Amino acid sequence: MLLENMEPVVQKFYDGVAEGKYLGRKCTECGAIEFPPHLGCNTCGYHETEWVELSGHGTLVSFVIPGIQNDKPYLKEVGPYGYGAVELDEGPVYTFVVFCGKKKVVKNLQERLHAGEKIGVHAKPIQRVSVVKPGEPETVEWSELCFELDEAVEA
Amino acid sequence: MSVVKLGKDMRSVSIVGVGCTPFKNYEDHPETKGTSEGDAFGYAALEAIADAGLEPRDIQYFYHGAANPFMIGDSLTPNMQVADWFGVRGIGSVHHSEACCTGYVALQEAVQAVASGTYDIVLSGAVDLAASLPVIGAPGCFRRDFPLEEMLPSIPMVYDRAYGRPLDSAFGISFDNWINDYRWTYDLSAENIDDALNALSKSLRRAAVKNPLAFYDVDFDQVAQANGMANADEFLTSMMNPKVTQYLRVSGFETKCDGAAAVVVMPTELAIARGYDHTPIEVLGTGSAAFEGSTLANEYHGTKNAAAEVYALTGVSPDEIDLFLCNDFFLASEIVAAEECGFIPRGEAWKYAIEGRTAYDGDKPINPHGGRCNFGHAHGASGVADVYEAVKQLRGEAGATQTNVNAKTAFLRGFGGGQNVRAQIIRAID
Repeated sequence: MLLENMEPVVQKFYDGVAEGKYLGRKCTECGAIEFPPHLGCNTCGYHETEWVELSGHGTLVSFVIPGIQNDKPYLKEVGPYGYGAVELDEGPVYTFVVFCGKKKVVKNLQERLHAGEKIGVHAKPIQRVSVVKPGEPETVEWSELCFELDEAVEA
Repeated sequence: MSVVKLGKDMRSVSIVGVGCTPFKNYEDHPETKGTSEGDAFGYAALEAIADAGLEPRDIQYFYHGAANPFMIGDSLTPNMQVADWFGVRGIGSVHHSEACCTGYVALQEAVQAVASGTYDIVLSGAVDLAASLPVIGAPGCFRRDFPLEEMLPSIPMVYDRAYGRPLDSAFGISFDNWINDYRWTYDLSAENIDDALNALSKSLRRAAVKNPLAFYDVDFDQVAQANGMANADEFLTSMMNPKVTQYLRVSGFETKCDGAAAVVVMPTELAIARGYDHTPIEVLGTGSAAFEGSTLANEYHGTKNAAAEVYALTGVSPDEIDLFLCNDFFLASEIVAAEECGFIPRGEAWKYAIEGRTAYDGDKPINPHGGRCNFGHAHGASGVADVYEAVKQLRGEAGATQTNVNAKTAFLRGFGGGQNVRAQIIRAID
């Protein structure tokens, strides 16, 4: 492998999120999409994938309510949320933080999913800041890709 | 995808020796205060070697496991640093680290080393002094406290650093995902799950109190009385034992502690020829899987695939399993994994738990030593402690917590580290 044949996939993914572009990689054999992107295909085990831009829209497939141990203050500041799994409209499934708009929505989501309701979600990146070296002022800023219920915006 | 058809080993391998230290906070006990990793691994290894009727000079190669040697062992090359402790200076060895699955990988690797014909007699052990931290720069006998606020930042390190952690997708969902799915699949209430988990806590603690190697020496009724409550049920559902995730209470998470354990394996043919007083325990096979923590339902997928592999390899039927060992650092694993591995009928394990049927004296025993939350969890070492317990049970040497089921075949479901899964079946040789 030579330098010119490599590119930093994680960097490109986060650069995309910062611009509101959601990049995955599509298998050139079976067509399945890796999201977030990886080099190989985990659906069929083929070696080659290529960049593809995704809609950033999908449906909720699983949802867990945070407790003391797995609740995060920086997420609570943004709004009521839970830990979900999202199936993007293009097919891939991955786990993400899902913002719900209202607290009472969080509590009822599991019942609604169990009843078979299709619950739409869309990408909602949030800004994050990480300290480069403890005790020093330098930071890096990056965008965490979260999702939000469509109904939270419609409301 | 991911279910692999396993090939048969070149030769059968059996466990002929086991050793296990107490799983305690060594700094709390005058007998063990100042114990180093070398001490602990050495005691477990020498016990296993003696149990095998051997001397250290008979060991040809050894495996060393630890979940987090850099942080809690102040060490990058831990296998090098324990060899002299049990008299095997100079032989080859290797360190491996699969977090809480380490102890099951320890058995798998040792078996493969012998099954392949490379070695005849191999020791595999693991140690973690997880209740305390080393004093950096001082000798191994100096340890300090290990507060939760120092441990918590290290836990996410088992999850994918590229995306999983930055997207906050692994840590949050992994505790409750499977038991939540179970609840809705079988139309149960949150109270049903809470009742089942609290019943498990009572059964497991009852076993741990009877086991001299286990962390706790008081049961939940005694804990309740000490806190001015009527009984275990009142304590377990009180604010002193709050839910810390959607389903899991404090009693449903691991009890962090110190411990080491080891096994010695050799070809079954050699074990039979040597004529042991105790029954050699044949390792019939190991199924393997690994699904990263950000993968939805990773514990479910890993358990399903690894169990399918080991059942296909061994030809053993789930109804032949007498005893189930399970990494239960999230206590709910005992319910969902026992069903997925065919030990208990689907949709029934929560009731079995409430009825006490999974207790050491029940008809479907799970973790008769008390499991991670009650026997104690010395992270990398706990899987080997499970093997120790299973071997003792299959030999009929488990003492006060010997099960009533005349167990001949045991299934071990290992799980940990982001998460690796191993499914192993071991059987007493007639």
